[in-house]
Amino acid sequence: MISRRALEVTTALLTGAFGATVAVSSLDNGIGWSAAGVESGTFPFLTGLIVLAGSLYNLGHGWLRGTGIAVRRSDFRRTSALLLPAVLYVALIPLLGLYGASATYLFGTLRFQSRVGIVRALVIALLTAVVLYAVFERMFQISLPHGLLGAMFDL
Amino acid sequence: MENLEALLHGFTIAVTLPHIVLMIGGVLLGILVGVLPGLGAPNGVSLLLPLTFGMQPVSAIILLSSIYWGALFGGSVTSILFNIPGEPSSVATTFDGYPMARDGRPTAALATAFGSAAFGALVGVVLITLLASWIAGVALAFGPAEYFAVYFLAFSSFVGVGGSPPMKTLVSLAIGFAIAAIGMDTVSGSVRLTMGIDEMVKGINFVVAVMGLFGIGELLIAVEEELHAKPVSSRIKWREVFQTVAGLPRYWVALLRSAAIGCWMGITPGGPTAASFMSYGIAKRVSPRRAHFGKGEPEGIIAPETADHAAGTSALLPMLALGIPGSATAAVMMGGLMIWGLNPGPTLFIEQKDFVWGLIASMYLGNIVAVILVLATVPIFAALMRLPFFILAPLIFIVCVVGAYSVSNSYLDVVLMMGFGVLGYLFKKLSYPLAPLVLAIVIGDKAEDAFRQSMLMSQGSLGIFFGNALVTTLVLAGFALLLVPPILRLIRHRPPPETIE
Repeated sequence: MISRRALEVTTALLTGAFGATVAVSSLDNGIGWSAAGVESGTFPFLTGLIVLAGSLYNLGHGWLRGTGIAVRRSDFRRTSALLLPAVLYVALIPLLGLYGASATYLFGTLRFQSRVGIVRALVIALLTAVVLYAVFERMFQISLPHGLLGAMFDL
Repeated sequence: MENLEALLHGFTIAVTLPHIVLMIGGVLLGILVGVLPGLGAPNGVSLLLPLTFGMQPVSAIILLSSIYWGALFGGSVTSILFNIPGEPSSVATTFDGYPMARDGRPTAALATAFGSAAFGALVGVVLITLLASWIAGVALAFGPAEYFAVYFLAFSSFVGVGGSPPMKTLVSLAIGFAIAAIGMDTVSGSVRLTMGIDEMVKGINFVVAVMGLFGIGELLIAVEEELHAKPVSSRIKWREVFQTVAGLPRYWVALLRSAAIGCWMGITPGGPTAASFMSYGIAKRVSPRRAHFGKGEPEGIIAPETADHAAGTSALLPMLALGIPGSATAAVMMGGLMIWGLNPGPTLFIEQKDFVWGLIASMYLGNIVAVILVLATVPIFAALMRLPFFILAPLIFIVCVVGAYSVSNSYLDVVLMMGFGVLGYLFKKLSYPLAPLVLAIVIGDKAEDAFRQSMLMSQGSLGIFFGNALVTTLVLAGFALLLVPPILRLIRHRPPPETIE
């Protein structure tokens, strides 16, 4: 269970950290006025400060006003059930290529999460990969990653 | 009159067989992304963007804008039939649309929605026809300082009157600016904010951000809320359609008021979502039939739908005339314009007459095509919603991954998109608005350039922003939009409203 307060605070900390990083790394580019005009770090530096200041306000506001539950345990389970396999899928792309990873991902979620029959899951997964290949590689000539596995076959 | 001539010329460009085919295809795709939760107009347009690189700019913009119209209509279909808004901007349509459909009048609910939507869109296009070239003419005299002031005005109106908590809007906006700054600086050529990753030199493409924020974020929200489609009958009775549309003029007050709110929110970048909520809220306050709101009152459908479409259409006015998009989708389209080598802004009206008027003419036609197609295809798309979500969700996810990758053939983009997805989820949960973030990514560089050029002209003095009457007015209006709402709120001692974007 995640309270609204915890979620507000986490988000504000995240955005605040981003703002601080932006402001600090803009210092490398120089802030202020030089012979060539406004230096290139100035604008990002200011936006970083605005993000930081706004995040601090949201942090305080979220801490004081955030009440109730934002994400219930069952909500969290469903969201992770989508997100975790998806992260795994993205991690597999360099290895299996986009087509292989997509088919594996679809098959995995259909078979093991949604309990679709093996044959049906396999057909949907392979069909999707073939359609992707036909549309992108053939119709629009956009090459999607083939991965290490693809490289092995090509050679 | 000059505009009318230009418009007629535009029709000769828009009304050709290939363009009508593109329109039909675009509208159908748009309805599809509008109906599917997790895919919306911004994603739909971003997804097809890489496919338009080889096209003529006119054809490309006709395709993309048709997707936009289709998506606006498609979002309302699911709102009414399933009580599931397919688009954030059609959330307000569920309040009265679903009860009306549930009570056995789905056709009347859909026809009311589409009829008023078409009216709203029409008002928006007429406004563009009449005003766009005039505004562009005025804007031709703008220097960098005036431009920066206009950008400032646009962003202030987001913070001040966007409807989301102002400090959250500000954070969202500033994050967008910071992201826009990543990579090569267009003025000095130095490399900024890459955090030591070489590939970041090319910057973060707005399409990647849109895919993550709107696509993945919305998908996560959708599974979390465990959308259960409790469909009502989706059979369309054509007689009832005509009867309903014929009865719409009785609500002329609501129609005109909502269209005005929509146009205002579209031009000052409040966007369709804020427009539909605001219009519904105002209708609920002033309508003589306010007691019936929430129980299937036609005015409760007319108000958000008219405003939604009026805002969606008129969001293209500032994009074309000033180079400032009025909604997230318009921002994506403007990104497309820049990729096709066009320079959005007043010079378009001189250098790219065919493009501008072809687009405007296609907007009249595209909306008519959209109304007809959406009515004809309601049963098909309603059937799609009966597909189990656990099959749809991974498929939509794959589409987003492919979309993010194909922008610039980069795996890093896919990883970044995942990050944006989580951010989008958090932001949506906590009512941070997403549209300002996307807008700032698209026009951040231009705003910064305008600022730095003005500084060069004035040798570093901020006085240039008060140099003449025009720029002073713009800057002061910006400050007013920024400061007046919080001051009013302080006086009234009311907490800021928390609306969903």
